[in-house]
Amino acid sequence: MNLQLELPGRKQSLLLPNPVMTASGTFSFGLDKGHGFNVQDLGAIVTKTVTLRPRAGNPQPRTAETPAGMLNAIGLQNPGVGALVRDIAPKWARWRVPVIVSILGATVEEYGRLAERLEGMPHISGIEVNISSPNATRGGMEFGQDPQAAAAVTAAVVRGTTLPVIVKLTPNVTDITEVARAVVDAGADALCVINTLQAMAIDAEARKPVISTVFSGLSGPAIKPVALRMVYQVASAVDVPIIGCGGIACGTDAVEFLLAGASAVQVGTATFVSPSAPIDVLNGLKAYMADHGIDDVASLVGAARV
Amino acid sequence: MKQIVATVTENARLYGNTYVTWFAAPELLRAAVPGQFLMLRVTVAEPDCRLPCDPLLPRPFSFHRLREGPDGTEWSLLYDVVGRGTQWLASRTPGDAVACWGPLGRGFSVRPTSQQLLLVAGGVGVAPLVWLAEAALADNKSVTLVLGGRSAEQIYPASQLPAEVEVIVTTEDGSLGRRGLATEDFLEHLEWCDQAFACGPNPMFQAMARVMHGNAPRRPVQVLMEEGMACGAGICYGCAVETKKGMRLVCKDGPRFDLRDIF
Ligand SMILES: Cc1cc2nc3c(=O)[nH]c(=O)nc-3n(C[C@H](O)[C@H](O)[C@H](O)COP(=O)(O)OP(=O)(O)OC[C@H]3O[C@@H](n4cnc5c(N)ncnc54)[C@H](O)[C@@H]3O)c2cc1C
Ligand SMILES: Cc1cc2nc3c(=O)[nH]c(=O)nc-3n(C[C@H](O)[C@H](O)[C@H](O)COP(=O)(O)O)c2cc1C
Ligand code: FES
Repeated sequence: MNLQLELPGRKQSLLLPNPVMTASGTFSFGLDKGHGFNVQDLGAIVTKTVTLRPRAGNPQPRTAETPAGMLNAIGLQNPGVGALVRDIAPKWARWRVPVIVSILGATVEEYGRLAERLEGMPHISGIEVNISSPNATRGGMEFGQDPQAAAAVTAAVVRGTTLPVIVKLTPNVTDITEVARAVVDAGADALCVINTLQAMAIDAEARKPVISTVFSGLSGPAIKPVALRMVYQVASAVDVPIIGCGGIACGTDAVEFLLAGASAVQVGTATFVSPSAPIDVLNGLKAYMADHGIDDVASLVGAARV
Repeated sequence: MKQIVATVTENARLYGNTYVTWFAAPELLRAAVPGQFLMLRVTVAEPDCRLPCDPLLPRPFSFHRLREGPDGTEWSLLYDVVGRGTQWLASRTPGDAVACWGPLGRGFSVRPTSQQLLLVAGGVGVAPLVWLAEAALADNKSVTLVLGGRSAEQIYPASQLPAEVEVIVTTEDGSLGRRGLATEDFLEHLEWCDQAFACGPNPMFQAMARVMHGNAPRRPVQVLMEEGMACGAGICYGCAVETKKGMRLVCKDGPRFDLRDIF
């Protein structure tokens, strides 16, 4: 059974042993041991988004449960790229699983500087450009909602790195294909579709918003149909590989994203619900392939497109 | 952390709105200490990999107590019914299966030299302190447990505690024990205790901190913090609290903290 896939890059390709990765912000830096499976068996680890300077994140409450989903406004709490380079990256030294570092800048220039900081680091296989977080006061989603700004950020990162560049898109736009085309034209090697949907919850008893920042990001099974639709649309619009993300919780979910046109998938919120979710998704995908006599995972990509 | 399916062996309302549920799943206790917690799914455990959708997130609970059962050591949870998850848990019957994983976080650490222990419980915060009390007694230490609550319905029955534990009851409305707050005699207790442990709402910790900031005897005070959790595993950053040493995750760096690092 061939699960390997190559995400061809303009300067360097990213070879994934299989198409199942962790989603940014839902697996920290891959170093916590609480999940009970071997992270080396995954297709890739995508880190929590890092910024130039450390960030403390938002006040509590930061999370809330919603029907089949959750809201979060973590606020990009992270130790900063300096600590990542100095303290965290060396711990990946003997890893076989590729590590993709997610970055977010407050300005176009900051994105470029972040890419430069990661250039030449031996244990990093790719960069995921977060222009889609609804939880940044500056940067993040405001870039992802404007095709020109999204292209400028992408170009700045591409200039600063030889690593494969994945741009992570926000669903909080009228036409996601516009932004997708703009970032691919600017040099994106692959796209991650989607980040969280901007949302809110109100406590009827307290008569106030539940999350401290009022608005937050919705994730989990509730957003899967939206994510699937957007993967399908983006796959029609661009020629680069797409990494599907949003509500994936089992092997069948992953298969559906591949059929819609994704080449790989990321597992996020499901890992909170079941610590072994990423590996369960991979095993579920393998079981599906075995049951259906499929030898090469690539043959599923886009197979449901009409 | 491998997710396991624990079998309910007993489930009952113990007092007021507070329930105790016993589980047979000794493997979950591996190297666990009082003050640690587990994550528990509040939906029927599904055999296939499809995850439950609603309620989606697992809930954190402290280990309450241990006992020997026919299949090894059993553990229990003590909880107030406050929402859908705890309602679901309270309606389990013996034989039911519940998905959970643990032990998680950092529990209490009793100094070998501490002989006289003070335990302060606010409401259902008594849950993790009962195992701590029993473990300390087994270690030949002496234990005083202050139980505080709004009224008698919130007070853990002293009859459920080992006779060796000295119990002091305080209620805000005076319906049981002394009228007042669990922390009112804290300064006095600090005179004789070697180490103190507390679990309850933040205002209770703040009251204790105010006492410590005065010219109280310097004693190590450990508190169990609570914060809304999505993962319980240090990967979502949902449970962060600001401490004097910077941002910390309650689920991974805690839930046990030194009081002086928090307030
Ligand atoms: C480390 C840790 C250990 C815990 N141990 C225990 C225990 O031993 N016994 C016990 O009774 N409870 C304990 N809790 C709290 C327990 O997790 C919540 O009461 C439970 O998740 C509520 O679930 P629910 O679905 O019934 O309520 P929900 O429907 O989720 O919530 C009902 C109401 O309770 C509030 N609420 C929910 N979770 C919390 C929370 N963590 N803190 C404050 N308010 C909350 C909600 O805002 C809401 O108003 C612990 C929490 C933590 C973080
Ligand atoms: C608690 C939490 C934190 C997140 N943090 C980040 C982040 O730092 N960077 C990012 O690009 N996406 C972040 N995300 C979004 C996820 O990577 C993912 O795109 C989204 O949750 C949808 O996938 P899911 O439904 O599988 O969770 C976060 C999501 C959650 C739930
Ligand atoms: S609950 Fe997820 S980091 Fe603590």
